[in-house]
Amino acid sequence: MKNKILYIITATVILLGQSCSKDELNVQNPNSPTPASAQTESGIEALGLGAVYQNGFNGISDSRYTGSWLGSDYFFLGPAYMDLLGDVISAEAANNITNQIGVPDYYIDDKGNTVSNTAPALGVARLNNSRTKAGSNMYFYEWAWMYYLNNACNGILAIVDGTTFSGDATTKKNTLKAWAYFWKGYAYSHIGSLYYAGLIKDNYVTTNNNFVSSAAMITAANANFDLAIAALGAVPTTADYNKVLAYLIPTPCQVGKGGLLTPTMWIHNINTMKARNLLVNKTVATMTSTDWNNVLTLANSGITSTDLVFTGRSSATNSWLSATSGSVAALTVGNPSSTTYKISERLIQDYKTGDKRFATNFSNANLYLNQKGGITYSTRYTLLDVASSSTAGTLGGVASKVVGNYELFIAGSYEENELMKAEANIMLSNIATGLTSVDNVRTYQGSGLAATSGVITDPALAYEELRKERRVGLLFRGLSFYDARRWGVITDIAQGGTGRKNCVVVSTTGTVNVNATINYHFLDYWDVPDDEISLNPPSANSAPVVNPKK
Amino acid sequence: MRKILTLLMCIVLGIAQLNAQSQTATGKVTDDKGAAVSGATVTEKGTKNGAATSSDGSFTLKVKQGATLVISSLGFETREVAAATVVNVQLATDVKVLSDVVVTGVGYATSKKKLPISVETIGGDKLAATSTTSVAQALVGKVAGAQITSKEGTPGAPLNILLRGINSLRGGTYPMILVDGVEVRATDLGTLDLNNVDRIEVVEGAASSTIYGAQGANGVIQVFTKRGKEGQTKIDFSTSYASSSFINSGNLHQATTHGFLTDANNNVVDKNGVILAIKPDGTLTSGVNINGQTQAGLVWASTNPNTDGSKLYDHNLKYYDHLAQLFQSAATINNSLSISGAAGKNDFAMTLTHNHQESVIRDNGALDRTNFSANVGTELFKGFKLRSITQLVYSKNNFNPYFTAGVSGTFFRALNTSPFFDFNWKDANGDYPYSLVATPVSVNGYNPNYYKEYVFGYDQTIDVIQNIQASYKVNHFLDLEAKYGINYENEQQNVTYKNQTQNINLISLSSAGIGYFNGKEGSIGNFEYNTTFQNALTTATLHLDLAKDFHVKVPIVSNTQVGYDYRKNVYKQYYTYGDGLGLYPIYNMQQTSTQTISSDYVRPFVTFGTYLSESLDWGNVAGIRGGFRSDYSSAFGSGSTPQTFYNGNAYFRISQLGFWDKLASVIPEFKLRGGYGEAGIQPGAFDRYVTLSTRTIGTNLAFYTPSVQSNPNLNVEVSRESEIGTDLTVNLSKGKWFSNATFSGTYWKRTSKDVIYQVDAPPSTGGAGYLTNSFSLSSNGVTFILNLNVVKTRDFNWDFTANFNHQSSQIDAISTGQPIVVTSGAGYGNYVLQAGSKIGQLYGLKTFHDVNQTKQDGSLYISQANVGKYQVVNGILVDTATRGIQFTNQNYSYGDPNPKFNMAFINNFSYKGISLSFQLDWVHGSHLYNQMKEWMYRDGIHGDYGNKITINGQTAAFSAFYTSAYADMFGSINGARNSIKDYFFEDASFLRLRNLSIGFDVLRYTKIKYFKKLQFVLTGRNLWTLTKYTGMDPETSSGTTNSGFDRGVDYATTPNNRTYQVGLNIGF
Repeated sequence: MKNKILYIITATVILLGQSCSKDELNVQNPNSPTPASAQTESGIEALGLGAVYQNGFNGISDSRYTGSWLGSDYFFLGPAYMDLLGDVISAEAANNITNQIGVPDYYIDDKGNTVSNTAPALGVARLNNSRTKAGSNMYFYEWAWMYYLNNACNGILAIVDGTTFSGDATTKKNTLKAWAYFWKGYAYSHIGSLYYAGLIKDNYVTTNNNFVSSAAMITAANANFDLAIAALGAVPTTADYNKVLAYLIPTPCQVGKGGLLTPTMWIHNINTMKARNLLVNKTVATMTSTDWNNVLTLANSGITSTDLVFTGRSSATNSWLSATSGSVAALTVGNPSSTTYKISERLIQDYKTGDKRFATNFSNANLYLNQKGGITYSTRYTLLDVASSSTAGTLGGVASKVVGNYELFIAGSYEENELMKAEANIMLSNIATGLTSVDNVRTYQGSGLAATSGVITDPALAYEELRKERRVGLLFRGLSFYDARRWGVITDIAQGGTGRKNCVVVSTTGTVNVNATINYHFLDYWDVPDDEISLNPPSANSAPVVNPKK
Repeated sequence: MRKILTLLMCIVLGIAQLNAQSQTATGKVTDDKGAAVSGATVTEKGTKNGAATSSDGSFTLKVKQGATLVISSLGFETREVAAATVVNVQLATDVKVLSDVVVTGVGYATSKKKLPISVETIGGDKLAATSTTSVAQALVGKVAGAQITSKEGTPGAPLNILLRGINSLRGGTYPMILVDGVEVRATDLGTLDLNNVDRIEVVEGAASSTIYGAQGANGVIQVFTKRGKEGQTKIDFSTSYASSSFINSGNLHQATTHGFLTDANNNVVDKNGVILAIKPDGTLTSGVNINGQTQAGLVWASTNPNTDGSKLYDHNLKYYDHLAQLFQSAATINNSLSISGAAGKNDFAMTLTHNHQESVIRDNGALDRTNFSANVGTELFKGFKLRSITQLVYSKNNFNPYFTAGVSGTFFRALNTSPFFDFNWKDANGDYPYSLVATPVSVNGYNPNYYKEYVFGYDQTIDVIQNIQASYKVNHFLDLEAKYGINYENEQQNVTYKNQTQNINLISLSSAGIGYFNGKEGSIGNFEYNTTFQNALTTATLHLDLAKDFHVKVPIVSNTQVGYDYRKNVYKQYYTYGDGLGLYPIYNMQQTSTQTISSDYVRPFVTFGTYLSESLDWGNVAGIRGGFRSDYSSAFGSGSTPQTFYNGNAYFRISQLGFWDKLASVIPEFKLRGGYGEAGIQPGAFDRYVTLSTRTIGTNLAFYTPSVQSNPNLNVEVSRESEIGTDLTVNLSKGKWFSNATFSGTYWKRTSKDVIYQVDAPPSTGGAGYLTNSFSLSSNGVTFILNLNVVKTRDFNWDFTANFNHQSSQIDAISTGQPIVVTSGAGYGNYVLQAGSKIGQLYGLKTFHDVNQTKQDGSLYISQANVGKYQVVNGILVDTATRGIQFTNQNYSYGDPNPKFNMAFINNFSYKGISLSFQLDWVHGSHLYNQMKEWMYRDGIHGDYGNKITINGQTAAFSAFYTSAYADMFGSINGARNSIKDYFFEDASFLRLRNLSIGFDVLRYTKIKYFKKLQFVLTGRNLWTLTKYTGMDPETSSGTTNSGFDRGVDYATTPNNRTYQVGLNIGF
């Protein structure tokens, strides 16, 4: 008996010893693919899709930053800073300091009293440019999102040539290359158009510390756009091209203005982006006729009214874009007493009387008085959800929280391209041609406004039509800050800026001023975020990373 | 293996046979309760002649006529009796403490007297009889070397346990939990039944790492379950009823007065004088109200220096006590039945317990937990024992998913709703409104009843702990033991959101409502978690007594243990969601319009290793131990080499030396001890494997680079610890008072190198950071235990225990040289992890206390010319014109929020069958960031807004003063909203009457047939708290449970409960 038991115990020990052989330690992560999984035809397509819509537009997942978010993904915050600084929207909540960075230094009310901001926005933004301030550092976001996008695209480029494809491999490779170069160009355009300096980083993961000026970033952006055009030029088989692109562009986005762009349409989109790069990175005052001619040349081969463009749409499930919190528009819809963003009175005053787009999109059912600081925040206007708007149709509608309703313009659009034509023509004294483009956009969006071409002949009045149409027609397309910058609106009046005159300001107690002057005084190009600088200090021969303006 | 066994058998058989005797003594050894004491040694005094008692306590020994028998057993006082034909001996428990037997950390039963490391033992009867019957709750304050905090009051919520310092930043501080010698990893300590606990041993340090390996670096808590004892079968039944209410020791409340614009009659009006009323959507914003009038909204000039917040809510707007509307007093009912006994070679003990705990949140359901445990043992033949220990636990709660443990958002929202909203108001359809906004206040106001109307769910967990043990005492020298344990947990959670599209409030505000996907259409989430953990441990222990066994004239006893330890943990999770539910009341997946799986994940982890431990004792005087352990881990793959760690320790009982004899009557015990141990903490299962993440976008699968990169070059984290200590017994007097005291003190110090944590990468790399062996940490601490026998008479007994624990951890270095910013799990509050500073420090703006506040560059904030504009009010500097408090605009560290020390004072009195005990817990020097208060400051909701202050000779409840604390920094009114400010960083020290218990033993006064026990017990828990903290409960923390650094934020966590309990214990 004893021996039996001993044998049992001994056997147990030995058995256990056997079962614990080292082979059992070979536990790979069974849940996720490895980088090698991406180097197949289906793998690199999956990588191409994820690079843009996940790493790019949903890439920030660190709770230090996301913990204070009121929305989700890039399009609720990146473009919101543009519209806060461009005085299209305002915010009352302090999350991500959206309540402070868009407040002008002062306004002079109708009685001539100056109402000052005790916390000048430029200083607040810079005070928060510290890695330890995490979510409150406005400068971090656009930088991080765009470099995440850029890096993910570098990942595609790093393996595309070594990947084996079925069918027409050249077409498929070039489609993926065009995709990667296009989005790299997009990322560099955003960096160069907003930051005082940037990094040209074409490696996967590894970075460098040779910061270059914003102008050099734009040059690099255009170079990537040209590489995309070259790749698109080398796409002989449309079927295989469409097959890849149908994977890369999320299915829910392949409706409306979004869809499978032909190589020609895509090149049109690129030309519009290149025209934008030129237009928005100089002030109107410093644009030469050569510049305007270059803008015109690019815009003339830019997006047409029938071209498809890059759009975002929400879907009920597996959506990369939230219908209710994924865009500036979604977070502005509703009673301003409880929305994240509130419509600016200065946007509303840019609608011309009789513009159907105004009735489609706005009501004045709710008064919002901002009593918590933010001297220009109060508003009488509510942005409507076009799905629930009682007014005719959704033509020209700009916002909806209903799943799949809202069409987000990610890059260029027909309207933007047409208005660049308009502006170049007006500045080149082709007033009627220019205003025809303005009229085209108004017609396209169903404004119901009378034609101006041939009616208005004064260059200044023509330009005013253009200015208003850029504000109204390009609402929520991330361009308002660029415009305010190039028009001199955001520059401190004491430093030669124009500010904004004759404008509507509703005071914190509800007094409506109609002839106020606002001095915004914001930084034109942002300092490089401390989140980058403190971990990646600039090399000795780097361009300055801090804007010397004060 | 077999050879060794054969060899050992030969040694046994080779021992000389005993000489013939002239008398046979037989008898039985029992303890003071009459239970058999097995394994006791019975020796003939002055000889080596002896025997051990069998499992029923009996022995037979031939001795010389007139001999004296010496009966000894670990944990009992040794007795000497004259030999006789029948000798029945009752052994008294050795009350001189330090004599308890300890297993944890040494591997085999060892007297505490011969223990070189600090191991604390808490008997089952010394644990607090909490109404939750949770083992974790019962340990609060009882373990001298530990900080165990009840960080929230939701039934079933886990506790924060910190034994010795912070070793690991990602792994947290949760110690290894053993139940009867086998690790339990899936089941939380709080889930175990208190009724079946025999005793608990706690090893705080790494000195035990040789036995437990890498997972033991945070210390070990071992629970021993009750076993049946020889004698009549015992039936015990206990029942109790408790009533709990939430603690609000800081009197947190909403302001009972306001500073809104009013008309001459004190009606709250809009800017045009329209008397405000609620709107059909339940809000108080601009628009048409239920009286049909168009109103423009409430006016609150919060930064106007003249706004006085002391107007009464006595007209159109009334004050509703939201805490009263949210909370209730809750019942807890406990029933427990135990049957145990032992006969011959078999013993059994079974316990069935049911615990029903209501939530103190009104209409929020209850947690029901049923525990069944069975501990059965048998001795198959002499020396060979088999034991099976089973624990089955079924827990289910139907708490609202928004009011469950770890969720503070809804509580926050309820407190952030202006008090003039009635939570019980319903709209025309009979629904509760969601958003209770009254711009510019109540911006984050949401009705808790909305969540109760539209969301429901459940969370059910099945736990299985099965432990099979075989031990074979081969002979006097060799013990063999094999243990196998499986610990399985299955948790299923369901959250259902009803369709909210018809809710008037949502429609009116274009609100998305609540739910997965896009909110208001309704949705279902099902979450399943499975953990299967296996632990197999085989040991061989060789005991050699050189003097007895080999007749060598040195009193050396050697114990050698070799062990082989195998652990495998497989964790799985599976999440399914359904989107879109109809308006009809059927709520299952099939009713949803689309379904999706968001997680299908498995994480296996395997580690195994061998260890050797050798101890040498020199009589009763001194001993040394040493050992090493070598572990393989799947974290490093199959090609890895094992990681080896060493430990060593020693004790020296000075009181056993000859010269001490004269002192022995005063100081019978004086021991010095010290130890050193190493432990490695392995990386997470997949930390070293570089992968791509996946998700579905639209209809296609997408690959993407994870934001935090794993690192194939990670090394194991290494923790090294040294401790020195002393155990001392002093006989203070020969009288009834203060007869003796025991004192135990330990100083420890530890360092952790290569601690794995994510370091930040510059964003241009394309990711947020990467894992690396980045931190070096160090900690030290002191623990004291004092036991005092205050009085001992025949009828009256008073014992006093004081536990003291001080510990502190700091960051020595970070590999990148860069500070790391971490957000609290509470969602707000940034910690900065910085080399050279204590772990867990918050950074933020500082309040000015005088006009001489300097900036970080040393320059003054306030120029001499402006000094006159400021005044110090209640110790803080105020601008007399704006009435705003002045704050820096640069961030500063607030210092270590962790307690300087924690103490517990435990008193036990007994008088003729009446027992009284109470425990006072004192946590000193801890700090909490009162985030909840800061949020309630934002919209003027906090009670402080009604408090009057005097500025420049004027006294009023100045709203501008309080609002500035939320919104301002120097030179910027409204420029620092949401900022961390030391104004809200509060001393959270507290003294708490943790437990008060009065027991009355009926049978002491009257015998009742069949009854062996009939006891009434009245118990109170957390009855009284003394604190300066102004939040609800200074003990709560909203950070991640058991986090190494996230312990300093209070963000609307459900406070602990004050409980009154009446109980009845019956024994048959």
